[in-house]
Amino acid sequence: MSALIATGLVKRFGDTRALDGVAVTVAPGEVRGLLGLNGAGKTTLLRVLLGLVRADAGNVALLGSGDPERRPRDVAGCVEEPSFYPYLTGRANLELLTELDGTRRDAPARIDTALKRCGLNGRSDDRVAGYSTGMRQRLQLAAALLRAPRLLLLDEPTSGLDPAGLRDVARLVRELADGGAAVLLSSHQIGEVEAICDTYTVLREGRVAWDGSAAALRAQAPSSNWALETADDARALELAEQLDRIGAGRAEHGGLRISAEELDLDRLTVALGRAGIAIRRLEQVSTPLESMFFTLTAR
Amino acid sequence: MSATRIPSARLLLGARARRPSLAGAAAAFRVERRKLSAQLAIRLALLAAALGPVAFAGILELQSGSPGDSLYGVWVHSSGFAVSLVVLGFAGSWGLPLLVGILAGDLFSSEDRHGTWKLVLTRSSSRGELFAGKVLAAGAGTLAVLGLAAASSLIAGLVFVGPHHLVSLSGTILSPGRCLWLVLVSWLLCALPALAFAAFALLLSVATRNGIVGVLAPAIAALVMQLLLLGGSGVWAHTLLISWAFDAWHGLFTARPFLGPVLASSAVSLAWIAVCLAIAWRIVRRRDFAGPPVSRRDGWRTPVQVAAAAVAVVALLVAAGNWGPAGITASRLKTSLIPAFERLTFLQQRELGRTIVPGTKLDIVLPSCSHRGSAPRGPGDWVCTINVLIPSSSGSLPPQPTPVTYDVSVASDGCFKAESPPAFVGQQLMRDSSGDEVVNPLYTIYGCFNVL
Repeated sequence: MSALIATGLVKRFGDTRALDGVAVTVAPGEVRGLLGLNGAGKTTLLRVLLGLVRADAGNVALLGSGDPERRPRDVAGCVEEPSFYPYLTGRANLELLTELDGTRRDAPARIDTALKRCGLNGRSDDRVAGYSTGMRQRLQLAAALLRAPRLLLLDEPTSGLDPAGLRDVARLVRELADGGAAVLLSSHQIGEVEAICDTYTVLREGRVAWDGSAAALRAQAPSSNWALETADDARALELAEQLDRIGAGRAEHGGLRISAEELDLDRLTVALGRAGIAIRRLEQVSTPLESMFFTLTAR
Repeated sequence: MSATRIPSARLLLGARARRPSLAGAAAAFRVERRKLSAQLAIRLALLAAALGPVAFAGILELQSGSPGDSLYGVWVHSSGFAVSLVVLGFAGSWGLPLLVGILAGDLFSSEDRHGTWKLVLTRSSSRGELFAGKVLAAGAGTLAVLGLAAASSLIAGLVFVGPHHLVSLSGTILSPGRCLWLVLVSWLLCALPALAFAAFALLLSVATRNGIVGVLAPAIAALVMQLLLLGGSGVWAHTLLISWAFDAWHGLFTARPFLGPVLASSAVSLAWIAVCLAIAWRIVRRRDFAGPPVSRRDGWRTPVQVAAAAVAVVALLVAAGNWGPAGITASRLKTSLIPAFERLTFLQQRELGRTIVPGTKLDIVLPSCSHRGSAPRGPGDWVCTINVLIPSSSGSLPPQPTPVTYDVSVASDGCFKAESPPAFVGQQLMRDSSGDEVVNPLYTIYGCFNVL
């Protein structure tokens, strides 16, 4: 039984079709990445699912409820950049939200727990006006956690976070999913959500360009791309072209562009060493999933 | 589980918007109340409502002058109730619309400015409940401002000046107990027009998504309405203006209170409230909450558009100024002014210690009133001449007519201020039989007649 079922969603803004027959499902315990470049329709889809924008056509069921205006109490979500009342403290903002949720009774304890889980308990009594983007992102997650969500819809939850924040969000989302929650999270950077997601829906210009499991995406993904600079790029290119399962060519701004799995890359580096060609720089440009992402979303 | 089909037409029209529950609306109201109470501008507005009248009464206490142009203005040193009524006059002109604008004019647009619609709309409250909560908060805030201003002006007047009697708008004496009752009712009657301004501010806040418009426009609109009330001789266009309703209490202070303006203005205020809220709700119900917060740079385009629309509306209202029957005519003015003049003449004589035999009447012949404007009707400046027959000192000659000329300023609601040169009526202040300095009741006459 899916926690989220959306099919045939259409949303037009003037002549632009922001969503054009989009379908997406998320099962309990599943973390689905909603991927796409900016303007692909990710945020519009989340706005429709959260009832902020009314679809022109389509079917939506959140935890079995089809009321587009009133979401079930255990559906939580956020879209775009986190926004709160800047003249109130972080805690006061959350208190207002529990009031709107009709769950005031044990609010203080739940707020404390949510703030602690999101790493904000030390600054919760500061006004939000003084919060950094990362802190607001954490507060937004805390606001979502207050609803003890069985379905969580997150729009670029890692945006503005430092590496520690990225790790914390990944851990939190995983914990929720392991507890049975269904999570749909959007991102335009697959690298940031690669470690969390079980499945992906890739949007391109308002349509679903790809849908499936992370394993299937990896299986279809091309090799990683690498940037290589050596003491003698011409000889290095000749050598690379002689090796199996390695793609090589001149890079646009100098050096070489190599397409290869890590094991095949090892063979190349060993061969370069044996040939006496010094490696000056070797850097991964994109992972297989990123390569796949660029392929799927290219306009 | 089956997904629910969402028919597109119903979505677009927002027909699925739920009827707000009482509990949900109450929760949204508590949220709005807490947000409002945390904002400095709101605190300052409430403080102004509470302390402004006290400061006003305190300043009056320190100086000998009086705001004579305001109804009951010359009586502010004689009766504490006059202080409250003068404050009420100022409040209706611009004070309440300004404070109400601060309270209600940013309730919706602040959500756009802070980008918090998505925060509140993704909780358990429906659009209808959030809308109802904001409307309730605006209403409660408006009533709080009104209550604070009423209480503080009354208390300040009674403390600084005292609970003395007041002269009615027909020249009769109103006892302190009746004054207290009438003052309280007068403030209460201003609740509906104040709420109408709050609804207007809410509508602007919703429609323009711009706090500048929502906060300032009600006060500007009130001032424009005041100007519109100065022109045109027809009563219908005037009656439709909210500001006209703020003066409806004047009719209660006459010897024969008239309730027509109270009923008409209450109906008009209710209509403003209903129309403004209906349009605002329609906008909120149909709105797609998409896009980033409104930036301050974009914020000035909307005020310019609103100003252009307002100019068109004002031009229309100016053109409609003569719409309907003339409420202010020479005969109505004479009928109101002469009895007041007569009663106040006797009051003056009594205060000077002279005995007035009950049943005595002034001999007044050929009273006349003429409008200084082109048409012999409508609000504005009038001149009224009252010829009083005064017996000669020797008693051998027949009584001679003595003309008393009053410059009369008549407002659109039929209330007027009449002033005469001191040659016949004496100075503004006089010594009573006890030697105390008191207001000369004939120097400035306030009166009122029903224009409907």
